[in-house]
Amino acid sequence: MKTTSLLLPRRSFLKAGAAALGTAAFGFPALLPSRARAATGRPGANGRLTLAYIGVGGRGMGNLNAVGPRLARGELAVAAVCDVDENRLAKALAKAGPGAVPYRDYRYILERKDIDAVVISTPDHWHAANMVHAAQCGKHVYVEKPACCTIAEGVAMARAARDHKVCVQVGSQGRSQEECFLANRYIANGNIGKVSQVTCWHYESPVDVNPVPDAAPPPELDWDLWLGPLAWRPYNAKYCHGTFRWIMESGGGQIRDRGAHVMSNALWIMNADRQVFAGSKDRASPVTIAAKGTLPTRGLWDTAVTMEVTYQFKNPDWTLGWSQPGVRLPYFDAEKAKALKIRDTYGAVYHGSRDKLIVWAGDGQTFTERKAIDWVPGPGAKTVHQSPEFDHYADWLQAIKKGGEPVMNIEAGVAAAYLTVLGNLSLILGRPLTWDPVKREIVGDDHARRLMSRPQRFPYVV
Amino acid sequence: MPTILSPDDLITRLRSSDDTVRGPAWQGAATAGAAAVKPLAGLMADGERETARAARRALWVVVRHAGRPGAAKEAAAVTHELILCLENQPVAVRHEVLWMLSEIGGDEAILPMAVLLSDPLFREDARCALTRLPGRKATAALRTAFTSAPEDFKFALAESLRTRGDSVRGYPTRKLVPSRPTTVRASNAG
Repeated sequence: MKTTSLLLPRRSFLKAGAAALGTAAFGFPALLPSRARAATGRPGANGRLTLAYIGVGGRGMGNLNAVGPRLARGELAVAAVCDVDENRLAKALAKAGPGAVPYRDYRYILERKDIDAVVISTPDHWHAANMVHAAQCGKHVYVEKPACCTIAEGVAMARAARDHKVCVQVGSQGRSQEECFLANRYIANGNIGKVSQVTCWHYESPVDVNPVPDAAPPPELDWDLWLGPLAWRPYNAKYCHGTFRWIMESGGGQIRDRGAHVMSNALWIMNADRQVFAGSKDRASPVTIAAKGTLPTRGLWDTAVTMEVTYQFKNPDWTLGWSQPGVRLPYFDAEKAKALKIRDTYGAVYHGSRDKLIVWAGDGQTFTERKAIDWVPGPGAKTVHQSPEFDHYADWLQAIKKGGEPVMNIEAGVAAAYLTVLGNLSLILGRPLTWDPVKREIVGDDHARRLMSRPQRFPYVV
Repeated sequence: MPTILSPDDLITRLRSSDDTVRGPAWQGAATAGAAAVKPLAGLMADGERETARAARRALWVVVRHAGRPGAAKEAAAVTHELILCLENQPVAVRHEVLWMLSEIGGDEAILPMAVLLSDPLFREDARCALTRLPGRKATAALRTAFTSAPEDFKFALAESLRTRGDSVRGYPTRKLVPSRPTTVRASNAG
């Protein structure tokens, strides 16, 4: 608990410095007493976990809806919801039910001893601070993808999870999807031979064709808290909910948003998480990253519209390609695609020495070819991780209750995010990069090394 | 081989209202070099929003090209011009320049950046930018600022010093201290 030794207890802070800092006028809400349900981070005797939701916009509401059946069965309780947008907060509160308490600032939630775990669906630039702070307060974490926006954030997240012994699942749900499991098992058992290349395709990032001037933030939004770790800038209607994805410092474009799904699956199927985010005892070799792309010629959004990134791995040798838009491969069953609204506008092809296999989409809906679905493993066949009920949340909850690592644990999540971060860095620097997965640093480029971190605005620091 | 534009030609193209002229101009600004820094910084405050944005992006392209391995002289020349921009450009431009210096600035940038630690308009960006600079001199500048900083800013400087491995007595992090409560009431729940 080295980090927390530096923490100022809130009570002391209020007593010592609130008046001087002009915060005395803030009416801190009464904190709920511990319900003695369980020690922080451990489910109670009845096995029921108490959750809090941090960030309840589009994705956060999706995550809240996803646990509905478990709430109904009494397996979970939602004790708090949090958002810096009061309109969104009010909607989420209505959804969460009468037991939930609303907060604007997630740090009130972290003070509550009765909350075992948090689900973080904030904008990407908040993920690291939210997750690290939650871990330091003993909460298990489900954090949306991409895990991090910088190399340094990823290192801090992995360290926090390890040091504070909390279970972290990153929201790249593809690894928990049934057909991703089937694709992984099919390839792991040698059905397409040795895979030396994975090529991903994905539609382009949008262009801000109708830019608007900076303006005063809407009254329901705490803009300063929304920005959090980022350098302060004026509010702009094209840089907030949802649209943050098209700003490099926050969302990072399609490669970081969807790449954290599609390339997460590639790392999983290639058993290559540790080729990107290795431990000191691993013998991983450097990875080279080369990116090129086209940037928007007008508007606020600054992420690549089209993009080609090649990642070259060694020992074992294989190549991963990210391509916006790349070559779209239609789903093999047009009627099924229409009926199930299967998105084939992104996916990946696994090129083996004997055959290839396509995995479409790669997030909450993931599909593969008939040959992998129909394949029946024989005696002695290799097994791969199978999430209970093919449900990403169930996988996380099982890991909390029974121990072990969830399929998209924080190191896996950081590995996937690193691919996207390094791709973007290579693009904006206009040159290839070399990544040392053991030292977890860029080598041979002092300028790029500085970009491994981005100092965060105080006090929103990891 | 992309065309190498003179600073004047670059500025002229950035002033174009045609995206197909302005866009390729800033995207191709890499080799414009130190001579383009001052005019680009000036254009960043232009009243035409897309022109100002294109100038800002052009300057970032210049900075990131100058930071490439083996281009120390070019980086130093661009840094020198950026430092000058800290003295006489509008506030928003100087904020951006601080972050540019955080990427390629060397020891010569430390003092001009550190001066801004005492200016409430710039001190947080200056602190972040200095935190990114490698070396003991940057740490020493943060330490010096810490000794004379107003009480409320000492917490942030202490954070920077600890990030850089320096020990600081007192001024613990405030990262877990909640700020404003919501006005949404629990009773709103349906």
